[in-house]
Amino acid sequence: MSVEWIASILQGAVQIGTIYLFASLGEIYAERSGILNLGIEGMMIMGAATSFLFTLAYGHLAAILAALVIGMILGLILGVMAVSLRLNQVVVGLALTIFGTGMSGFLTHPTIRAGVLRTLNPHIPESLLTIQEAPKLPEVPIPILSNIPVIGRAFFSHNILVYISYILSVFMWFILFKTRIGLSIRSVGENPGMADAMGVNVFLVRYLTSMLCGAFASLAGAYLFIGFHPFWQEGMTAGRGFIALALVILATWSPLRAIFGAYLFGGVEAIQYRLQVRGFGAQTPQFVLMLPYIVTIITLTSLSFESVRKRLGVPAALGVPYSREEI
Amino acid sequence: MARYSFLGITVERRMTYSRTASILTTIIAIGLAFAAVAGILTAMRLDTYRAFGVILAVFITPRLLLQAILRGLPIILASLGLAIAFKMNFWNIGAEGQIYWGMIAATGVVLAHAYYGYLPDLLVLPTMLIASFIAGGVWCLIPAILKAKLNVNEILTTLMMNYIAALFVDYLIYGPWRDPHGYGFPLSIPFPSYAKLTFVAGNPSYTGLVLSIILAAIVYVIFRFTKLGFELRVIGENLDAARYAGINIPRVLMLGALLSGGLAGLGGLSIVSGIIGRLRPRASPGYGYTAIIVAWLAALNPWLIIPAGIFFGGLLVAGESLQATLKIPNAAVQILQGIIFLFIILGEFLKRYKISFGGGRGVR
Repeated sequence: MSVEWIASILQGAVQIGTIYLFASLGEIYAERSGILNLGIEGMMIMGAATSFLFTLAYGHLAAILAALVIGMILGLILGVMAVSLRLNQVVVGLALTIFGTGMSGFLTHPTIRAGVLRTLNPHIPESLLTIQEAPKLPEVPIPILSNIPVIGRAFFSHNILVYISYILSVFMWFILFKTRIGLSIRSVGENPGMADAMGVNVFLVRYLTSMLCGAFASLAGAYLFIGFHPFWQEGMTAGRGFIALALVILATWSPLRAIFGAYLFGGVEAIQYRLQVRGFGAQTPQFVLMLPYIVTIITLTSLSFESVRKRLGVPAALGVPYSREEI
Repeated sequence: MARYSFLGITVERRMTYSRTASILTTIIAIGLAFAAVAGILTAMRLDTYRAFGVILAVFITPRLLLQAILRGLPIILASLGLAIAFKMNFWNIGAEGQIYWGMIAATGVVLAHAYYGYLPDLLVLPTMLIASFIAGGVWCLIPAILKAKLNVNEILTTLMMNYIAALFVDYLIYGPWRDPHGYGFPLSIPFPSYAKLTFVAGNPSYTGLVLSIILAAIVYVIFRFTKLGFELRVIGENLDAARYAGINIPRVLMLGALLSGGLAGLGGLSIVSGIIGRLRPRASPGYGYTAIIVAWLAALNPWLIIPAGIFFGGLLVAGESLQATLKIPNAAVQILQGIIFLFIILGEFLKRYKISFGGGRGVR
């Protein structure tokens, strides 16, 4: 176990963890306002597919922007169905996940993709129409900071999206806990009737957090593709959206705690890959892969105790549609 | 007043909704979903007419229809279980994991028999049925106990447990249960004929249909004629009323979950011993999630679950033949599933609210 090895594990933890971090940041906002988004997995895979297509057609920046837009649209659908029409959030979310998984597989399927790419960009070179790969987002080591031993490699030798995720986590924690906007969001998730009486627009807040959640889930998918593994595979998110859902609970709805949770889950995966390379645990990686799910169930169980709930602030109205007439 | 209008559209809460209107809403929802998919296919310049022809062919060609029934079998069984869980408002998203445990138990019995052989061949299938029912049931009992005793949210626990179950199957099949003569492929030994689900006319589809009807009848009887069925419904409709009526809520919750998971477990058995004939990793392409759509589509009515399940089984068959004959990706069928689900949920809104155009005092 050399220092080099530890640095490489930490680097992997951040690299993989960023997928979870982006997705859980959005989900934290949604859940804090009372929206449980089970569509997160579908939004993530749509983000990955969108970034794949747009990277080939127009490059990285367009890919990220397009993923954000697609995510927002899916979040808007969630908002219309769960907030305005007050339909069951669980089934709406699952339907969006099934739809997103199908749509992403359809649009990127070899027989369809060429047509989609030509529609996006009529001047696209012929050679790009059939490839499964896209250029990876370049790594930009931060001068000076990246020279610090271990830490430099672990945290400051990544692509731009990773750095953005650092800033966003702190920024979104600040907004949620230190500003009026954050107070409104939390009050809507805690007691929508009270929030409404205090003059907070419950519907607007929930619409915005749904769209934000969609955008972040989709961004997580885009990062997964262009920032981590730029080789398209159908269904490549492989349940990572749901892991992010788990992470939100582990982080007990705090963007700052989500950072540690995300790198913890990322670290577990990174260690597992590296052990496999060395031949350890190659026979039974499954038990290690189960860890995030088991940890989630344990966390959920411990959160069931009233004292723990009170201390951590579990949103009380999570998953409950709000209607003025039914108070 | 439970009524508000906006831009000349008035939305009003309704108390009753006729059965005919309900069926009509569902049919319109499915029709709209097909229209939406037709739009997508046309936009991609694919042959929509021939694609729909392929889908229709599945339901009118006897050979393909039998296949549809077979593929629908795990969906139907899991969906019958979900009907029980959803009836009492227990959000079991974990049918997929319970299906995997059914497969594990069924395969375990076959392997134990194949290697140690202490049972008469005739008793292997009944043992498999019991084992897979118990395995699936226990997997669903865990979140139910957590919910009943500690009030832990079952949506997330059941969802997480799906992945644990699927990974456990991976472990078994890449590890101790791998066929030693299988050239290293991650497959169990093929099931011997006495372990296959063919006791009706030697055909898994007919057997599946008979099994579905028997189990649907049992669920119907539970719902309609038993105390448990009554208690399930009261808990689902009004938890406070259930408490005042003195219903032992934790007991009903756990019993209902055991039955729910058990039926999904039988669905798992139907995959390994009806469809594939052995265990392999990721043997379920999401049957447990499709079962949620089917339960919703059938409005938790056990009899309607059978045609709804066959319909979705047929869509799976159609997806494969679309890919093979017209080069339309299989995923098109998954889009169709997702959109059907979305429209059915939207239909739910129509059942709860009456919408009229024009007029209406602006009460908001």
